[in-house]
Amino acid sequence: MFPTLAVLRTSVTDFDPTLPGRAKHGDEQAFIKIVEFYYPRCLRFARNMLGSEQDAEEAVQDTFVRVHDSFPRFREDARFDPWLFRILANRCRTLMARNRRHRSVIEYGDVPQTATAEHEIGADWAEEVRVVLDTLPAEQREAFLLRHVEDLSYEDISAMTGAGLSALRMRVKRACDALRARLTDGSKDDRRIG
Amino acid sequence: MIEESDELIVRAARALSGMPPTKAGAVARVLMAVRANQARPLPFWKRAMRRFDETSVSAKAAGLLMAASLVIGFFARGTVGNARDSFAGGSELSGTALQSIANMPAESRPVPVAVAVELANAKTVAVVGDFNGWDPSVTPMQRVGKDGPWSATVLAKPGRHTYAFMVDGATLVADPRAPRAKSSDFDGDASVMMVRTP
Amino acid sequence: MSNFIRWTARLLGVAAIASAPQFVGAQEARLLAIRDDATRDFVRQFVEAARVRGTPTEPLVSRALEGVAFKADRKRIEQAMAALEKRLRRSRDLLGAKATADEVAAGADALAADVPAGMIQEMKKLAPQRQITVELGVLTELVAKGISPKVAAERIKELMARGATGAQLTELNAAVQQDVALGIKPVAALELRGRGVMSLLPPPASVNSAQRR
Repeated sequence: MFPTLAVLRTSVTDFDPTLPGRAKHGDEQAFIKIVEFYYPRCLRFARNMLGSEQDAEEAVQDTFVRVHDSFPRFREDARFDPWLFRILANRCRTLMARNRRHRSVIEYGDVPQTATAEHEIGADWAEEVRVVLDTLPAEQREAFLLRHVEDLSYEDISAMTGAGLSALRMRVKRACDALRARLTDGSKDDRRIG
Repeated sequence: MIEESDELIVRAARALSGMPPTKAGAVARVLMAVRANQARPLPFWKRAMRRFDETSVSAKAAGLLMAASLVIGFFARGTVGNARDSFAGGSELSGTALQSIANMPAESRPVPVAVAVELANAKTVAVVGDFNGWDPSVTPMQRVGKDGPWSATVLAKPGRHTYAFMVDGATLVADPRAPRAKSSDFDGDASVMMVRTP
Repeated sequence: MSNFIRWTARLLGVAAIASAPQFVGAQEARLLAIRDDATRDFVRQFVEAARVRGTPTEPLVSRALEGVAFKADRKRIEQAMAALEKRLRRSRDLLGAKATADEVAAGADALAADVPAGMIQEMKKLAPQRQITVELGVLTELVAKGISPKVAAERIKELMARGATGAQLTELNAAVQQDVALGIKPVAALELRGRGVMSLLPPPASVNSAQRR
């Protein structure tokens, strides 16, 4: 069995919710901890969104530069995840608009630290999923990733993207329809390998 | 949890959920970019544009409309004072501590330094040194993976620094990969890091 | 001895508190890491007294907290702070009134490594307009590797006179460290690597003419 999504999403240690407030007030160490904690997750989203490892790293770096710049305007009573992902999603959109270049196949340079046999078998399958997602309009890909991979609620995604709830549900549904239509064969292949 | 999902969608989402590897020094590079950005303040209009990244798409549209109306207002009233003020007000820099770092000359500006140590049986590890006042609560280290090394990023000014690792809140251990500090006034070993000017 | 230090510190501390009513809040908060009341009082008063004398206080607070981290008793912390304060004052005298706190602290470390005072002064003369924190740090480390303070200081001075940057000297130190780890004698490694850095620097004539300009 695959590990549960919750397990995959949980980092080594839990996030200290006081960090954003401290970073807002100039606590440099708190900002470093935020970057250390969120870097992998942001990179995952950016890579899934942009396809290119290099572009993803650029988007994440730009995001943290902007997060740092914008902390004085972060409301401490607001939740940090949606605020961060709003900036990240906007960075990804900007990069996509700038590049519009041919999206190459994702390079797998290093084996992830958390890689298991299941992950390795799943690498081809992940590639296929990305190829399908890549053919979708950016807003559908974004909505699918935020909802199903980043596990954000429709309410949060709505606040982030400014799209209505029903429109978001429709985007996710269309993305799911496309995945179902195009991945059926691939999943059978994958099962055979597994 | 996942609505309208079937096995295929769940598997697709899981396939994309694996955390990509964080390359060595990636966090330090991000922090360097933050520093570089602080040291090079942008003109007010570029900062105002950056604020757009904090804004949702529909709010951007509303913002563009407002900007358009301000321009119209400018032509109608013959002044741009209010518009400028509102931009300038929004372009304040980060906290004073961060700003003071940004204003420092390069030779005394703290730079991010990645530290890591293998301590298989430790439950908690913190890096302590003259860069964080030897306070174990300032820079707790995080474990990479389940049994991997402990790592953290510290901010240290260019020059020579002494440091050690506080293990389980009780024992100080020197960095086995760094030279020892010979002149320590206390019993026990500290290590030395030389931080170069960025 | 330690009684003398303690009472001097207390007297100067009282004077300091009278003349500068607020103790710097951030440092005060950090002193709370010192559990023992008597040690904390001593450190607070000692630091205040140092502040009045114009000695950089941050290295003193840091040394006290280092002592706490190493579980040193009060006597050891007092001795360490007194010795450091003496070196910091000497270092400030050698580097001049314009020297930064970091630079003064680096000079104090160099003095602790037995670098001759005259060498520190001469190094500063080679770069009066900028900090030499990195240069002093590299010198301290070279001496720690077993190179005689005089030889190490002379080599650093030569390189500084030819315009070597702090970054180049940091790399020199790292290279010497690698060589020593491979079994090369520290002095030989410094000579070898020093020549390497020297070869990258502009010839003396252009440095002199640049300085004249």
